[in-house]
Amino acid sequence: MKRISIDPITRLEGHGKIDIFLTEDGEVANAYLQVPELRGFEQFCVDRPAEDMPNITNRICGVCPEAHHLASTKALDALFHVDPPPTAKKLREMFYSIFFATDHTTHFYALGGPDFVMGPNAHPSERNILGVIKKVGMDIAGKVLKMRHDGHHLIKMIGGRPVHPNWGLPGGVSRGITEEQREEIEALGRDAIEFAKFSLQLFNDVVLGNTDYVSLITGGLFTHETYNMGTVDENNHVNFYDGMIRVVGPDGKEFAKYDAKDYQEHIAERVEPWSYLKFPYLKKVGWKGFVDGMESGVYKATPLSRLNAADGLATPLAQAEYERMFDTLGGKPVNHTLATHWARLVELLYATERWVELATDSEITGEEFRVLPTETPDEGVGSVEAPRGTLTHHYWTDERGILTKVNLIVGTTNNNAAINMSVKKAAQGLITKDVEIKEGLLNTIEMAFRAYDPCMACATHTLPGQMPLEVTLRAPDGEVIEHLAQNLD
Amino acid sequence: MKTLILGLGNPILRDDSVGLRVAQEVEHLIPANPDVEVGLDYWGGLRLMERMIGFDRAIIIDAICTGASPGTIHLLNPDDIPTQRSSSAHDVNLSTALELGYQAGAHLPPSKDILLIGVEAADVQTFDEALSPEVEDALPAAVEAVMTALTHNGDAP
Repeated sequence: MKRISIDPITRLEGHGKIDIFLTEDGEVANAYLQVPELRGFEQFCVDRPAEDMPNITNRICGVCPEAHHLASTKALDALFHVDPPPTAKKLREMFYSIFFATDHTTHFYALGGPDFVMGPNAHPSERNILGVIKKVGMDIAGKVLKMRHDGHHLIKMIGGRPVHPNWGLPGGVSRGITEEQREEIEALGRDAIEFAKFSLQLFNDVVLGNTDYVSLITGGLFTHETYNMGTVDENNHVNFYDGMIRVVGPDGKEFAKYDAKDYQEHIAERVEPWSYLKFPYLKKVGWKGFVDGMESGVYKATPLSRLNAADGLATPLAQAEYERMFDTLGGKPVNHTLATHWARLVELLYATERWVELATDSEITGEEFRVLPTETPDEGVGSVEAPRGTLTHHYWTDERGILTKVNLIVGTTNNNAAINMSVKKAAQGLITKDVEIKEGLLNTIEMAFRAYDPCMACATHTLPGQMPLEVTLRAPDGEVIEHLAQNLD
Repeated sequence: MKTLILGLGNPILRDDSVGLRVAQEVEHLIPANPDVEVGLDYWGGLRLMERMIGFDRAIIIDAICTGASPGTIHLLNPDDIPTQRSSSAHDVNLSTALELGYQAGAHLPPSKDILLIGVEAADVQTFDEALSPEVEDALPAAVEAVMTALTHNGDAP
């Protein structure tokens, strides 16, 4: 069996790589996304006070510290048996909506979007945000930078620190906002809505206006029929901050709806010998391997999954875009992985509308933003929708609140099985005997998992060393037959 | 010349914290100076570029993995980093980010005035607040490298 290794994955954190195993005939036998192992997190946490967790877990991930911060804070609410006052909940959700809008913006313009705006076969030196600017116009650079700047500014203003907020407390938050701050949040939120509308228009013009791209999105190469997971409110509308976890089947029908605290009744985690990352699956369906369908417990938790798992969005402009997306792609559920990019922009619009909705809520400047916990802590689960999927924190403590056990299911982990299935399917569709393996082809395979916006080794920030894209063809005994090292400069 | 000295890293991921440790020590060594700001941050790419807006010069300290002996000090310029690979799932690499900033007209240090001081790491995959011994031993040399760079360009403390 020959082996092709793509290492490391361009624009992916850490040392993740794709291994594609070929048969003697040159066909793809299997494909795996290998991820690095971050060691010792549970040991690091155990014996510390649980209240430290929002400020520890937000450092697990350099990409979505705000998601970890709030999942952790909600786990503390549950652990200390305290229900935050309405102002605290609204402040948290507003903060989170601002984060979501900022995060989705960065993904679309810096990571996922260039594949579409520039095309999957564009040279890597152009298939990035600079290429997008060159093609779409300089104006867009200012818009993206302003959106990011405003988001980071408000996150710092509300959350206390620029990157890793230290704001969430069991029972609420450490401080509220003034009327002056509220006015600024509202004004910047209205700008953000315009930016989100602009982004959807751009997607409409550049991507949906190109029949090749539409074919790529809707083609079988990037399609998987799995269960979909997302958090919904009492109207079954998407909610990023709070609600019930809803799982919808490949047939579009509700399969399960549960409180996050009961996640262990619904989710089991499988270990595979070749991966450090576990593979969660739906317990009541069962693990049937890396396969699609109603009988397979594989599920996805992505922006597209959230839209599939909900009955709609709670804000008017985003709801209209939600309907347009499903109408265009043939109704629910949409199983085309690449449509996740479109779903992400629909969520961007929802996040900005929700941001303004909460900024104009009469309770948002309230002074009751914390309830002091008085109960003895024991066990607590907190869950939010991270940009990359449902994020669950589960803590156990002794009666003093000292941690005895910690379990986390992070957004990307939910999608681990589906990502591997997507990579394999794309590889099988593209790599066949006698096909020359070129960068563009490998990029198309990478697009299969880039749609998931995976965050594998989310804590490391070392400077990149000399690690160009590598493709290694190996014989069954491991001997290197051919080694392609392509410096992407 | 407005200078930013920025330590990058994750404080709970063993050697990834070395940039933060160096910046913290440098902060104690230099007297208050309105033209020199010492900071800590956790992001590369776009966020790092945005952090440098408003400065004429930047000295950035971070962990690096090149395969050299742990503790080795590397002095690099953004143009020296030989790959388009980003250090983040969610970001672009520094030279792309800088180019974006330049094109957008942001006040940023020119590339030649951005010094990256990389301290070779032994382990950036274990949750721990302590550095590996070889990296701990390299702290004085890394601090010295920052002070030399600061003095070299006429901004002696």
